Amino acid sequence: MKKSLIYIEQNHFQNSMDLLEVVRQVYDAEEYETYGVSFGASCDEAEGLFDYLIEVPDQRIRSYDVINMTNVLEELQGFYHFDSILFPATQLGRMLAPRTAMRLHVGLVADVTAIRHKNGFVEMVRPAFSGKIMAGIVNRNRVPLMMSVRQNVFSYQGASQKQTEKIKYSPIRIEDRKIELIEVREKEKTRDIRESEILISGGGGTGRYFPKLKHLADELNAQVSASRKTVDSGTAPRSMQVGQSGKTVSTKLYMALGISGSLQHMEGLKNVENIVSVNTNRDAPICSRSDIVVEGDAEEFIERLTDKIKWEKQSRE
Amino acid sequence: MKIMCLVKFTPDVENFIYDYEKNVLVRENVRMILNPDDASALAFALKIKNRRPETSIEIITMAPQSVIPHMEDLLRLKVDKATLISDKLYVGSDTYITSRILGKYLSSVAYDCILTGTGAMDGDTSHVPSQLGELLNICQMSNVVEIEEETFGSESAVIEVDEERNFAKYKICMPAILSLQKVRNYKLPYIKYEDLERNVKDQITIIDNETLGFESNQVGISGSLTQVSGTFVKIMEKKDKRVVRNDSEGINTVYQFLRDKGFV
Repeated sequence: MKKSLIYIEQNHFQNSMDLLEVVRQVYDAEEYETYGVSFGASCDEAEGLFDYLIEVPDQRIRSYDVINMTNVLEELQGFYHFDSILFPATQLGRMLAPRTAMRLHVGLVADVTAIRHKNGFVEMVRPAFSGKIMAGIVNRNRVPLMMSVRQNVFSYQGASQKQTEKIKYSPIRIEDRKIELIEVREKEKTRDIRESEILISGGGGTGRYFPKLKHLADELNAQVSASRKTVDSGTAPRSMQVGQSGKTVSTKLYMALGISGSLQHMEGLKNVENIVSVNTNRDAPICSRSDIVVEGDAEEFIERLTDKIKWEKQSRE
Repeated sequence: MKIMCLVKFTPDVENFIYDYEKNVLVRENVRMILNPDDASALAFALKIKNRRPETSIEIITMAPQSVIPHMEDLLRLKVDKATLISDKLYVGSDTYITSRILGKYLSSVAYDCILTGTGAMDGDTSHVPSQLGELLNICQMSNVVEIEEETFGSESAVIEVDEERNFAKYKICMPAILSLQKVRNYKLPYIKYEDLERNVKDQITIIDNETLGFESNQVGISGSLTQVSGTFVKIMEKKDKRVVRNDSEGINTVYQFLRDKGFV
């Protein structure tokens, strides 16, 4: 019986649950048990999904204190001998995973986007070179198998019907905290672009009239997103960025205005259903992936399509 | 105060070209650049040195000797010392081994802070800074976007961190490893005209395995705990695109498409 531990991050609950799908793919037909570990608040929502839920209610361990969290994971590994430990590739997960892997003297694969089986080995696939190349990586026979998993790529469909056993764990070794949270400031109140069904996205070609994208977005009840170029030039905030170094989106419609479609950008679009692109160059890379290519100036297009939608709306009222 | 800057030179991946007809990635003739996140880290260090001239900056990189000209350019920006960790035995090391090699050097020297980038453009695992934090038993933080200059150099520094949905401010004990994100307020200056040709060769130290003393089976491909089993370029799905013009007929086509799909 294989044992797998998933680090449950409270602030990224769904992404943590989706790691159950990764475990399922890793063990395939083999029998396995799933353990979830969470720090701080209890995670009752995960009940029924895991075989075991380990809670670490110790007030001395803050949910950002990576050093003490590593201490706990090391202790847990000593008790349970997990065959694999998985982390969501969040800000915190991506700091906790490498520290824990180093502590346990095992290899680690970052930002996994697919699991394959190759000659009896589990092959973890991840993007490299900003998503321009995919690399398959195997672990050299050390236990546990460790990886961080790219957010929003896997999705767990299993029902919550397990008899979850809850375990309260009291850590043995806790160090003095070397880091203190002073304040948290929310980023400007925009919805997460990953939650939008339609995205109106502006690339380097939109430049100074990037704010106009909002007009079209409002008509379509959509959100505005951006390419890396737009973000790097300071026109759009990083939270809007689509692509390998930004966010992976799974919208139904993606309108790419003045976006050429670098590979790192396309990596963020792999779950997008429909693409309409507007570009002065009809042979731009994104055009090969588009349903419709509008050859021409994006600023003009925004005005025309916005007017058209408004006009159609009025004439139907 | 002594600042260590951990940097990496990477291929300029933005200029890779994908050949959609042949489904291959054109990787030839791509130049090497200083990894952008690392550039922000070094820029902050130089800013501090500018304010407090007694500050000393050492850049450290693990690479083949071909990066020496790039290191010389960084030395011409008023970096005090450059250390190149380079040995044929180290070629092919994964992140775990790379951290062990860098960690061995870093634990032999004194410093007040280690600055580096959050991710590198080529591998982008962000493993090494965190793993070094573990090896050196100090705090590490990724995606730092600001360091409060007046706190930097005291027992603990105040830093601002980009945590996707929020910005968080932390007080972090020094020495720590601060991994910066590429941000606009920390930009590398240009080399001053009079420094363009300055001879900086004697400021470079090359450290090989004779100094660090790893067994040959502990490092490189044979020592690594992970192994690349294959690389492939993703096959980009080609759609039967319709190309329309940006006129009323084209707009009608787009509108009809949006209607058919239920978006309007």
